[in-house]
Amino acid sequence: MLAQLKPSTSFQAFFRYRQVADKILITNFEGNFLLLTQEEFKRYAEGDVEEESELYKRLDAKNFVRKTYRVADAVARMQARKHFLHAGPNLHVMVVTLRCNETCIYCHASRANMDAVHTDMTPEIAEKSVDIALSTTNPFVTIEFQGGEPLVNFEVVKHIIEYAREKNKSLGKNLEFTMVSNLSLMTEEKLQYLLENRVQICTSIDGPEKLHNAQRKLATMDAFQKAVFWIKRINQAYEEMGLDTTLYHCEALMTTTKATLPLWKEIVDTYVNLGCKALFLRPVDPFGFADRTRLKIEYPRSAYLEFYRNAVNYMIELNRQGVEVLERFAGIFLTKILQGQDPNFLDLRSPAGAGVGQLAYSFDGKVFTCDEGRMLYAMGEDTFHLGHVDTHTYRELVGHETVRAMVLASNLDSQPDCVNCAYNPYCGTISATNHKAQGSIFGRMRENNVCAVHKGIQDFLFEKIATADQELLDIFEKWTTIRAREHFVQDSEPANAAS
Amino acid sequence: MGTQLSDIPQGILQAELGAGRVSINLDAEVYPLQALYGASYIFIDRCYVFIDRPDDKVFRVTLSAKDAAPEAEALRALVGEFANELLSCAWRHQITQDNRTIIETVTMQAIAGAMGEPSLDDLASFDFSDEAFDDPLGIAQSWEDKHGKKVQKQDEPEASNEGAAS
Repeated sequence: MLAQLKPSTSFQAFFRYRQVADKILITNFEGNFLLLTQEEFKRYAEGDVEEESELYKRLDAKNFVRKTYRVADAVARMQARKHFLHAGPNLHVMVVTLRCNETCIYCHASRANMDAVHTDMTPEIAEKSVDIALSTTNPFVTIEFQGGEPLVNFEVVKHIIEYAREKNKSLGKNLEFTMVSNLSLMTEEKLQYLLENRVQICTSIDGPEKLHNAQRKLATMDAFQKAVFWIKRINQAYEEMGLDTTLYHCEALMTTTKATLPLWKEIVDTYVNLGCKALFLRPVDPFGFADRTRLKIEYPRSAYLEFYRNAVNYMIELNRQGVEVLERFAGIFLTKILQGQDPNFLDLRSPAGAGVGQLAYSFDGKVFTCDEGRMLYAMGEDTFHLGHVDTHTYRELVGHETVRAMVLASNLDSQPDCVNCAYNPYCGTISATNHKAQGSIFGRMRENNVCAVHKGIQDFLFEKIATADQELLDIFEKWTTIRAREHFVQDSEPANAAS
Repeated sequence: MGTQLSDIPQGILQAELGAGRVSINLDAEVYPLQALYGASYIFIDRCYVFIDRPDDKVFRVTLSAKDAAPEAEALRALVGEFANELLSCAWRHQITQDNRTIIETVTMQAIAGAMGEPSLDDLASFDFSDEAFDDPLGIAQSWEDKHGKKVQKQDEPEASNEGAAS
């Protein structure tokens, strides 16, 4: 049908389009969308729409008609979508050690053995890292403890928390701490400290016990049991503290490998049974050990998308039965699609957050545009290394030419394919991944794994939206709800932790 | 001795399997030179890249293996990757010209928003002087200033033609 169209040159405002199931999705510059039948699309494209018609009213309401195009509305929508442009990095990833007691087959972090104490961050490096982090122009600052395993260097974690809290008294930033840990070295004493200091705790669960223990190996072969024990303990503690457990619970992340793909139902059930309200079905990245083990763990992205559809369809069914569980990719995209807001997920925005939305601080004081950049440095690629906390100021780091190049490269309005893609207003590309996989920070989207995943997920979501199933739309609406977790915002007083 | 690689039109490509080398002829009117540089540079970690121009209408790119001579299939994959990258660079070159205003605006807002205003410490190390920097070799001078025909000022005496080359 599209080949037979005789498009009008004056009726439509700027739009992009894409076939989704039997509908045609149209999106405009500011991210409004409509799903049209083939016949409606033909009329729209050819300008054959009566002003009194229902179709015209729908098009006009979403700003798709040139004659009535409301610039002020478009500006307001764009300001909401691009709110992140006016502030600097809010995420500051601090790698307090490379040492880790677990061996993961896909480890992206290039972890070190437990005797590699020289990979521990010192208190001096930690303080200088905090100084730079709190120099950001962003009023919101999240310091994320990563590794290696951050509990291995817990004294420096504590030092960072106390130093940052003290320094922030005069700065008044909206300061939060997050820790990404395998939890196997957690103790009741450490947990009490983290609870008292309002540190959000996040762990990894790859799925059912057998899969998790096969992919994440502890010497005692009980990584799953240890993680589950502490997830339950943390959730219990939040309940005892009187926090809303639908909002406050231990978050868990998973990494999708080839072995994961057939286990979509078991994975969702594992998360639901642990009381987790969200799953993040992340594909494996080409960094660290994953680069070396890719023949064993990688898979075509079409297989991933089938896995994704199966898992999310199952989650939707669970939601219909009253079980609250959402998928993070879906939540991020739906917030942009349905709410016109940007949740500022740094890999899914245009331009991406490398350098201007996040900075990563290695144990030795080197500063990188992003955590992926730090991972690539560990693999011998120094493109994303910006400087050092000893020698560079905050402004020198975020104003670095590499940051400027990445902002340009991840702007979807400069990317072949993206520039015409109907998903342009909702999407993002990752320069460090492009560089690793395709040799340049631009990448080539038509052959790009990340692009395939993003397009595939959005195809799936729009197919669902196109069904106009009200119960499903209500579920999707719930998945977009961004509820601030005020408890994790630091104030001068420690929280009363449950014993 | 040239070898034909499957699927690639004859006349565009000359492959020398024994030498691990392949040359691609590109229509100079189809591909901007900047796109050719961009795509070629991306391949310098995979192979040696040589660009020349056998005639006004053709760019020739030669990709040469760094190590052992690759199999025909690997050479074909290299050529295919290069062709895709070249197309991507050519189109990006056009897009960045078309969308220059929005790209510059977004970049400026992102970087300026992240950097913020300079602090007093930043300003302390800033050079506010109006004096021209030292340029003994005249590098900052335009070609016209340095080598162009001098415009004679009215009050200067006319130069003698004596001694001029005939």
